[in-house]
Amino acid sequence: MDKKIFIVAKREYLERVRSRWFIAVTLLVPAVIAGFSVMMAYAASKGNASNAVRHITIINTTSSDIGQRVADALMADSTLVGADSIRPRVVNVSPAELAQAETKAADEVKIPNHIAGYLVISDSTLAGQSVRYAGRNASSITDMDKLQNTIRQSLMMVRLQTEGVKPEIITEITKTRLRFNTERLSERGRTGSGQAGLFAGLIVGVMLLMLIMVHGQNILRGVLEEKSTRVAEVVISSIKPETLLTGKVIGVGGVGLTQQIAWLGITAYLISFFMPLVLKGAPAAGAAANAAAASPVTGVLNSITPMVIAIAIGYFIIGFVFYATLFAAAGSMVNSEQEAQQAAMPVIALVMSAWLCVNPIMLAPTGKLAVILSWLPWASPIIMPIRMGLTTVSPVEIAGSMIVAVIGSVGAMWLGGRIYRVGMLMYGKKPSFGEVMKWIKYA
Amino acid sequence: MSDLAIDIRNVVKRYEEHIAVRDLSLQVPRGSVYGLLGPNGAGKTTTIRMILDVILPDSGSITLFGQPNTNPGVLDRVGYLPEERGLYKKMQVRRVLSFLAELKGIPAAEASRRIDEWLERFSLKTSDKDWGNSKVDELSRGMQQKVQFIATLLHDPELVILDEPFSGLDPINAQALKDAVLDLKRRGKTVVFSTHVMDNAEKMCDSVCIIARGEKVLDGSVSAVKRGAGSRHVALSLVGGAQNGVSSVLEDTGLVRTVDDNTNFFEIELAPAADPQKLLRRLIDAGANIERFELVQPSLHQIFLERVGAQGIETGMSGHG
Repeated sequence: MDKKIFIVAKREYLERVRSRWFIAVTLLVPAVIAGFSVMMAYAASKGNASNAVRHITIINTTSSDIGQRVADALMADSTLVGADSIRPRVVNVSPAELAQAETKAADEVKIPNHIAGYLVISDSTLAGQSVRYAGRNASSITDMDKLQNTIRQSLMMVRLQTEGVKPEIITEITKTRLRFNTERLSERGRTGSGQAGLFAGLIVGVMLLMLIMVHGQNILRGVLEEKSTRVAEVVISSIKPETLLTGKVIGVGGVGLTQQIAWLGITAYLISFFMPLVLKGAPAAGAAANAAAASPVTGVLNSITPMVIAIAIGYFIIGFVFYATLFAAAGSMVNSEQEAQQAAMPVIALVMSAWLCVNPIMLAPTGKLAVILSWLPWASPIIMPIRMGLTTVSPVEIAGSMIVAVIGSVGAMWLGGRIYRVGMLMYGKKPSFGEVMKWIKYA
Repeated sequence: MSDLAIDIRNVVKRYEEHIAVRDLSLQVPRGSVYGLLGPNGAGKTTTIRMILDVILPDSGSITLFGQPNTNPGVLDRVGYLPEERGLYKKMQVRRVLSFLAELKGIPAAEASRRIDEWLERFSLKTSDKDWGNSKVDELSRGMQQKVQFIATLLHDPELVILDEPFSGLDPINAQALKDAVLDLKRRGKTVVFSTHVMDNAEKMCDSVCIIARGEKVLDGSVSAVKRGAGSRHVALSLVGGAQNGVSSVLEDTGLVRTVDDNTNFFEIELAPAADPQKLLRRLIDAGANIERFELVQPSLHQIFLERVGAQGIETGMSGHG
């Protein structure tokens, strides 16, 4: 291969990577994504009840130990935000003394930094009818849900005991924690977590889409710049237009890959750095959120085999080359930014036509649409990784689709190269469709 | 080793609506300064682009230093200054130059050393300021042209092709360019330039080729071209211009075939069989205040006008000769 391709690629790469724009975008995007993720995790942690549910007085007017059970259950809860060791105070009173106890508790609620509220458990509660709470956090949905669930569970335990169920069995029952794990099954057996596979496929699809939209159009602008500044003629007098085009696609593609690797790396770092800080107030909840965040990631990592990586990278490269060449050809046809927007439209429409099918394909990854798109070179690089994440695609279909995609890319390079070769030296008005056809013929 | 830097044989380039170059053959000897002359739209730029393998001829052959111009590496020995000049605007001067030199096969370290030399030589690098570290679009137009010229010569090419090098140059830079071309010739390099300014070509070129409408009109060494045109030309200078009856004398087709009227200076082609002495006598009789009356070889400009004529200039072309 012509080593001058790499001189061109080096220039394209270094000039772009050195630019302030590149540095800003490369740093800002992960900051935004990480900030958003951390905010979401924070909001999710806010979705957990606060430790205020423990800072209460429980007034129990029944003869059972339900008050104590509620207090124990609250202390055993590990999901509370800002959990501390303050226990709810349980006051067992007779129904006659309720009014007095309530007044006292209400007065305590009014004292700052004291109890948050008080709970009244009566015979009506034991009968499964009602329970009463008064406090500062009475309007907090999460806190009230937590209290309600805890009381309901404690009530169930008391009732089971009354019905003569052994205490060990009751304890055993209440320890039940249900985790809901999903696993994708196919004719080849277990292939990892269903969500994780989709996640991995979508990441590849979205990254390719961004690479095409951002850096494909970057190529278009670069070509236009070389043409409008007339530097193209000097360069083409030293190397073949095809060499320039190839070097450009490699260089700009490298910029895109660098940026995306940086995005992934920086985002992962920022999230792992800031997540514990933001969720510090709730170590238990933080750990839970981290575990939740980590589980799809580890799931993704588990479902990715070297073969899948190779196929994804293959589609990634084929897809980028296909679109990058077409963008370059579009750039070579025109003389101004405005015309460039128009010339890029058909190429953008082609990308978007594939992208708009992602949703239907996620719903029916083995459907007709999905199968057809897997054989179309401009759609398969985006569609295939998503399909492969969702379902099992036969190796024959993958190989066939890849071969068609490679042929498509080579065809795009041939076509784009011919348009580029003529277009780079054509000035004046924007060519008509017929004229472009002639360029392809005569180049 | 061929003693021709460029050998073009029967080259044809057709476009959809017209023929840009028809059956053109020309030979440029090594070490010479060669002028490619012609009106706008004559096919000069098309010819130059074919020499540089930027566009392919439909038929015919082009060899450089005895090798086909499509051979790998041949174009590394050629430096090219296009008519429409341009560089990467947002790029540092030094980096642009290094990139273009590397494309010509010069290693980056060697390119860097040469860039310093050239920047100093063109006063783009002084003790106060090193423009090499500036971006191209921070430079003035004149400085950008210098950078472009450095880019053409940085890889020390054996053949330098300049397309309309004088267009847009102020007199000082034009003189600097002339000096640079002569310096290249002294160092044994071959220089080809296209122009429609005959004066420059006449003073600088060893040989010329005049083309019009894609065809060669004539070529050869400047002296042979002038000899071939005969010596039936008169250079006439008048104080105060064509006063009195001078105009009617110059319009006498029995004496004068054509006249190039520059108000005070006239280049006259005598009519066939006309006697220059008779013309002189008639002018004196008409009361002309003669400063100079000299039988001369025609200027390239005059030959060009005679041979190409007004019809040779096709209108409505791309503007790229």
